[in-house]
Amino acid sequence: MKRDWINLGLAAFVVLFFVFMLAPILIVVLVSFTSAGYVSFPIPGWSLKWFAHIFEYQPFIDALIVSIEIAIGATVLSCLIGVPAAIFLARSRSAWASGIMTFLLSPLSMPMIVIGFASLFFLSWLGVGISFAALLITHTVVCLPYIVRTVAGVYAGLPRSYEEAAAILGANPLLTFWHVTLPLIRPGIMAGSLFSFLTSFDNLPISYFFGSASTNTLPVVMLSYMENQFDPTIAALSTLQLALAVVALLIVDRVYGIDKMTVAG
Amino acid sequence: MTIIKRRHFLGGSAMIGAGLMAGGMPRLANAQSTEITVTAFGGVWEEAVRKCFVAPFEAKTKAKANVSLGGPPQWLAQVEANQAKPPVDVLIMTPDLALTAAKSGLVDDFTVDKIPNLAKIPKELTDSVMGKGTLFDYGVGGITFHKERVKNPPKSFAEFVDRVSKGEFVASVPSIAYAVTPIMLIWAMAKALGGGVDNVDPFFKAMAKMKDNLVFWGGPNDFFNHLSSGEAEVGIYFDGRTWNHYDSGATWIDFINPEEGGSLNGVAVQKPKNANPLAWEYINEILDAQNQTKFADIMNYGVTNSDVVYSDKIKPRITPWQKTAFPPYEQIAQVRNEWVDRWNREIGR
Repeated sequence: MKRDWINLGLAAFVVLFFVFMLAPILIVVLVSFTSAGYVSFPIPGWSLKWFAHIFEYQPFIDALIVSIEIAIGATVLSCLIGVPAAIFLARSRSAWASGIMTFLLSPLSMPMIVIGFASLFFLSWLGVGISFAALLITHTVVCLPYIVRTVAGVYAGLPRSYEEAAAILGANPLLTFWHVTLPLIRPGIMAGSLFSFLTSFDNLPISYFFGSASTNTLPVVMLSYMENQFDPTIAALSTLQLALAVVALLIVDRVYGIDKMTVAG
Repeated sequence: MTIIKRRHFLGGSAMIGAGLMAGGMPRLANAQSTEITVTAFGGVWEEAVRKCFVAPFEAKTKAKANVSLGGPPQWLAQVEANQAKPPVDVLIMTPDLALTAAKSGLVDDFTVDKIPNLAKIPKELTDSVMGKGTLFDYGVGGITFHKERVKNPPKSFAEFVDRVSKGEFVASVPSIAYAVTPIMLIWAMAKALGGGVDNVDPFFKAMAKMKDNLVFWGGPNDFFNHLSSGEAEVGIYFDGRTWNHYDSGATWIDFINPEEGGSLNGVAVQKPKNANPLAWEYINEILDAQNQTKFADIMNYGVTNSDVVYSDKIKPRITPWQKTAFPPYEQIAQVRNEWVDRWNREIGR
């Protein structure tokens, strides 16, 4: 009897927790379908006009393309740099290894706005200036820790015997990596890439400093729009982003399996 | 099968490189002379900038103006980091940041020989940013209210404080997180209640009296939500934004310029040093009476060219800048941190 009450209390807590977490999102979704010209709840009627307005406002489309390009580019670069680094550092006995690992992970513990501001001045001093390349470099800096951390975590948990067996059977280091190590660390790469993509795609504090007529990302344009416009287009855009994220996760789950991304092997 | 020899490869590469240089260099030079990058806030602001300033500029000069969306702190940081080759040629700034840019030597002096339309802008508005820019657009921070819930709105800051203190209604005022709060609330209310830049005690005393009936907004959308949801009935807000809400269907909203005068919150235009000289032509278009009239019509904000004749629709909505309280921006900038510190200690929200 007492156990039933505990279970009931726990279930109620979980339900309340989800309501607390999801209710604001639900309101944003509902407001995006309003027929009113301003944000209000409850909504007076239903309309899809704010979704149509997203596609009529060209800066949203241009910025969305830049955001996707940067998120993919930063994720690919982070993998190219982060995977070898993680493999080396995960099992290194060098005294420097933990220092280098801390250095690579340090962007996680620094305020993004500081990284953005410092990068603006540093890259401008180097002559890279306000450009797509500068934006890509800075996003890579903040995406890299996600790849390094997840890949190093997975790799450190793997027995050395798999790679040793491959070597004993005659595989050179490259073949060993390709046929043994890479398939084993793939869940770490996938999980890190997903975090990396989302971190870059949602990033505002860094993108803000590198925004220009050709390099503005979606969050920068959304902020600028929201500060001076009061219609529910931002709610519609948020709903669309939410839908895209859910669809992407469903596809990843279907093709790869989300549970595999967190479990090695 | 064709075998490419090392010498052929090097020769071919050199030719391709030379070709790219020959083709690329004139394009670069061309880009520098016939393209400028101008700045705008997003949404209707950007659309108005394109229609009222970019289009006439491009028609007259045959040059192209790229519009960079964002905000003043972003553009100022970019110019500061790239002083030799600023990434934007025209800055849209809040007065405090315009003064920072002016004092840091990042922007050029405005003169009539470079910008003929500057002659039509009241001198006070150019002097307010040390002559290194001018105000071209302004909003007034006054009393916005829900006219269905407040039939007899306060007409002055003094009445506002008195009636909010008595609990007659809940007021929504800007929080210290909002950049313009020191001007539109602290200074404006202190001045209206007998203080000024040197004495903001009347403001803090008023806030202490009103504290039980105040809510704070961090951004303009918060204020609107406070009024539409019933969380507040009146507040301190901008005229232009009030009318934008009205035009988008919130016909229950109204605005009053307080009897003591609401603060003038200007938008300055500036040209970074070393920016493309074509920027002067663009700035001249921003200050043009006809273009400003169109801009005011779209934005519901006052503009500064003295030849502007507002349309019948917006004329009753615009407070002439002479009837506003003109903030001493430079003096406010000097004591701003002190005020923020006092706010944090005494109000804390």
